[in-house]
Amino acid sequence: MDWLESGNMAVKTLTSNKLRTGLTMLGMIIGNASVIAMIGIGQGAQRLASEQFESLGPNVLFVTPGSPGARQRTTFLPRNLVWDDAKAIAAQVPSVASVAPQRQSQLSVTYGGKNRTTLIMGTTPEYLIVRDFDVAKGRFINNVDLERNTRVAILGSEVAEQFFQGQDPIGSKIRIRNISFEVVGVLQAKGSFLGNNQDDAVYIPLTTSATSLTGRTSPFGLDLTFISISAVNEANIPAAEFQITNLLRRRHKIISEDDFTVQTQKDILRIVGTITGGLTALLAAIAAVSLLVGGIGIMNIMLVSVSERTQEIGLRKAIGASEQDILMQFMIEAVMLSAAGGVLGTGVGIGGILLVAAFSPLQAVVSPVAITLAVTVSGTIGLVFGVFPARQAARLDPIVALRSA
Amino acid sequence: MSTIVQLQSITKVYGIGDIIVNALAGVDLTVNAGEYCSIMGASGSGKSTMMNIIGCLDRPTAGRYYLDGIEVDTLPDNELARIRNQKLGFVFQQFHLLSQLTAWENVMLPMIYAGVPVQERRDRAREALVRVGLEQRLQNKPTQLSGGQQQRVAIARAIVNRPVVLLADEPTGALDSTTTEEILDIFGELNASGMTVVMVTHEADVARRTRRVIWFKDGQVLESNLSPKDVALVSAG
Repeated sequence: MDWLESGNMAVKTLTSNKLRTGLTMLGMIIGNASVIAMIGIGQGAQRLASEQFESLGPNVLFVTPGSPGARQRTTFLPRNLVWDDAKAIAAQVPSVASVAPQRQSQLSVTYGGKNRTTLIMGTTPEYLIVRDFDVAKGRFINNVDLERNTRVAILGSEVAEQFFQGQDPIGSKIRIRNISFEVVGVLQAKGSFLGNNQDDAVYIPLTTSATSLTGRTSPFGLDLTFISISAVNEANIPAAEFQITNLLRRRHKIISEDDFTVQTQKDILRIVGTITGGLTALLAAIAAVSLLVGGIGIMNIMLVSVSERTQEIGLRKAIGASEQDILMQFMIEAVMLSAAGGVLGTGVGIGGILLVAAFSPLQAVVSPVAITLAVTVSGTIGLVFGVFPARQAARLDPIVALRSA
Repeated sequence: MSTIVQLQSITKVYGIGDIIVNALAGVDLTVNAGEYCSIMGASGSGKSTMMNIIGCLDRPTAGRYYLDGIEVDTLPDNELARIRNQKLGFVFQQFHLLSQLTAWENVMLPMIYAGVPVQERRDRAREALVRVGLEQRLQNKPTQLSGGQQQRVAIARAIVNRPVVLLADEPTGALDSTTTEEILDIFGELNASGMTVVMVTHEADVARRTRRVIWFKDGQVLESNLSPKDVALVSAG
């Protein structure tokens, strides 16, 4: 008996009990659909995150205080990254184009009885260039503001919308932590970044933030949360990273471990990739459990089928089917069930991905690897879970099988 | 006249725990080509065990069995399956047709295992069904056929691979008397055209249609060549 005959026979048997075949396949359909959808959604999230980081501009580097090793050892770090570091980088590193020192905290902002806790960012004029923001109305921070510690504020578009609802906010006074600031500008809307709304922020001069608001200064100078730096061009990023690291080591008199971290966009992308990749794997692993359950469902039904078809097996053996013939027949039925479930499940999974993509910012990523994997895995599951029932069938004694009623 | 079935001191012992049952206790039996014989005996006399051994569904505990000149008692399972496929045809009391297949497909089944090409398979299956008078029922499923028709499909299936012997185990046990006659007519015609037929039955009326009766008692052949008209005599005594 050849493969075609066996396949034909299996199709006949499977279609003769459509409800049962359908329900058995449902397990595999759900399993495959969830694996493919989870991997797709995970990869979509990964791509979204990557693209958002890429939207920062390809030339951006970040310097943050502390090092990965130091972070593990202590929770309280002295604020050792200071404005002078940023100034030194701007002045001494040739491959750097602009340097934007940033000092940020979450503070409560009030205007006309409305209250909102938002990101207060102390920075310098370079921020606009490095982070690629545009001013919609009025002006941004300038050097005079920095020198004189002026109490001026530039609003992110969402803050402006919430407090002023279309009215011109320029010249109005808002209160940040009960200190009055004059609104001198509004930024263009930029959208969210990794779920963080970038337009929900208020910008003030770096110096003002230190003197009037948070007041915390490290023993080394005006402390920073981090420094955003843009390199001259993409090719200069490794050079910039190296030069910045050297300069800061010298300035901080490092003899063993760095107390700062320089990260390029690539580094961050890699971290993001690791995190989202891990998440994707986790989702896929959870989904794979349902694939396993589907496989067990197939084994269960095949076992029922063997005991129900004892007489058929006896008859087939009596008219000349060998043990291999019977084994093959039941194996093919199991593999067909699972592979067909796999193919249908793939369709459902792709549909699910497209649906999610249509109603969320996630992109639809239909991974050919995931599909090949899912269908192969479900075929294999059919094989593995089909072996036991098929052996049961093949080993039946034809005399006993024929007599069973 | 060639010998089709030759059994030499066949024994079959079943051991169920401490109880040992001698189902067959030294059977010598020969069936020649073209014979039409019935195996009779009380239940438990060993006639079903005999049938299973002749049909290569079971192996004897001891003794030799030659089927069409081949010693089959020593063959491995796969070879036995092939022997059943090529040399034996089975007809059962409960017909044993596959319900998901049509009459035609049921008859083609043994040829699938024999590796007969598709076209030849279809032709031969149709011929066999014509022979049992079912040319109008090729596409019917078993549930759409009467008991007698189902048994005729089973007979067509049994003869389609041109076996050397047709084995029938109580073939009329599930049929009424009219249908029984029809089925026995078919067996008679098949035998008349040269088919060797061995039939197990407990009905004297059925055995009377055969030409030789083999009588079993306590796992042994009591009478190996009884004339059918003497059946009543033996069953009485």
